[in-house]
Amino acid sequence: MKKDIIAIFAVIIAVVIIIIGTDFQTVDQYYTDHIEDIKQDSKTVTMTIECKTILKNKEKLDKSLEKYVPDNGFILKDTKFVLNNDDTAFDILDRVTRYKKIQMEYYGADLNRYGTVYIEGINYLYEYSCGELSGWVYSVNGQYPQCGCSQYKLKDGDHIVWSYTCDLGRDVGCTVGGGNNGK
Amino acid sequence: MENRKISGFNTLHPAVLFTYFVSVVIVAMFCTNPVMLFLALIGGVSFFGVMKGAKLFFQDLCFYILMAVFIAIINPLFSHNGVTPLFFMNGNPVTLEAILYGVDIALMLVGVIYWCKCYSEVMTTDKFLFLFGKAVPKLSLVLSAALRFIPLFRRKLKEIRSVQSSLGLYEKKGMINRVTAELKVFSSLITWSLENSVDTGASMKARGYGLKGRTHFSVFTFRKRDLGYLICIIVLVGIVILGMSMGISDFKFYPEISEFNFGLKQIAVYISFGILSFIPFLSELWEVIMWKYSASKI
Repeated sequence: MKKDIIAIFAVIIAVVIIIIGTDFQTVDQYYTDHIEDIKQDSKTVTMTIECKTILKNKEKLDKSLEKYVPDNGFILKDTKFVLNNDDTAFDILDRVTRYKKIQMEYYGADLNRYGTVYIEGINYLYEYSCGELSGWVYSVNGQYPQCGCSQYKLKDGDHIVWSYTCDLGRDVGCTVGGGNNGK
Repeated sequence: MENRKISGFNTLHPAVLFTYFVSVVIVAMFCTNPVMLFLALIGGVSFFGVMKGAKLFFQDLCFYILMAVFIAIINPLFSHNGVTPLFFMNGNPVTLEAILYGVDIALMLVGVIYWCKCYSEVMTTDKFLFLFGKAVPKLSLVLSAALRFIPLFRRKLKEIRSVQSSLGLYEKKGMINRVTAELKVFSSLITWSLENSVDTGASMKARGYGLKGRTHFSVFTFRKRDLGYLICIIVLVGIVILGMSMGISDFKFYPEISEFNFGLKQIAVYISFGILSFIPFLSELWEVIMWKYSASKI
């Protein structure tokens, strides 16, 4: 019986630790209304989220997702945001999607072998939603970085573009990654 | 042996039974439409209930309800797609759509499990071997032996457990002690089963299983009634599969739950699948009614 009590106790402690370690937020708390205002001396970056490639590959797209593709292909067009110190590309994306109330889902950095966050979907457009080579990629100042978005530190004035690709990055001009040097 | 009732659906020709089970299970596995999954589940559960009686039926049902609830909770933790976030956990939404999709998967899993249970009740080893023993002797033997192992394990497990406890072993109280005792019983069960399977193989070989020129005796004949059932099943499955391939019964959960559509085409598919999944239950019921009616005339 003693062993039983210890076992039950252990289970309770495990549950409590899981609950404490989880961060619960209501919908209003998650989607912040406020974002830092741009002042004269604040560093800024520009961000764009676009899915123009889907417009060319409409026949591959899941029918139920058609209404989430904007007509001009831009989910967010060239908008300036304040850059804090040590912000990565992922931090900015996370802040912006919360502020603009754009849905976004990612895997945590601890869930894959690259040690970086992976963006699964933005605005209900997920990887594989438009053909099996589709997904989200990002570029900074026109270059596609060789690292994940939560490892890339941004500088003042950077221009980040999140693009949806239907062909493993080749259709948005990304030559690194799985496309050419993959095995 | 358990007392197996000789009844309406059980006595059909094995080929008809096999076609029936395969088609129902495959349709249930490949569709996400909650209406169809619900029909499949109810059909399977009611057939199982009629076959096995109320007591066994309720015993199992509790376990499956728990399992379904568990799946419905697990899915939203891993799938965050959906337009209606309820709250956020570690920066990822828990959405209504994901929860409902979990419920849907749970419906499907429990339904398919019930159909498989019915399958193992109705399609006994002799029927399976009758169907496939000639064409693929090795595979059908392995399959029927594997399927037979689960009930066999259960019986043997009970036996070992009662022997051990009558020897006075594993009598200490407490959860942990019980678990360790069960593990020991389980390990001896595994040892026994390995030995048993080798024995079975040797014995089958000694009897010349699968040799050329070996004949089978079976009492299965293909009657008019079987033909009627077979045509009925094929027509209904044909309608359902046609409907599924044309996207009539499509139902999406992500990112937004599609609305229930009860047009003529949808209703046709639902009704055909409903009839299909209730065929065994109805034929059992018919048998009971006929029996009562004939008995009342005596």
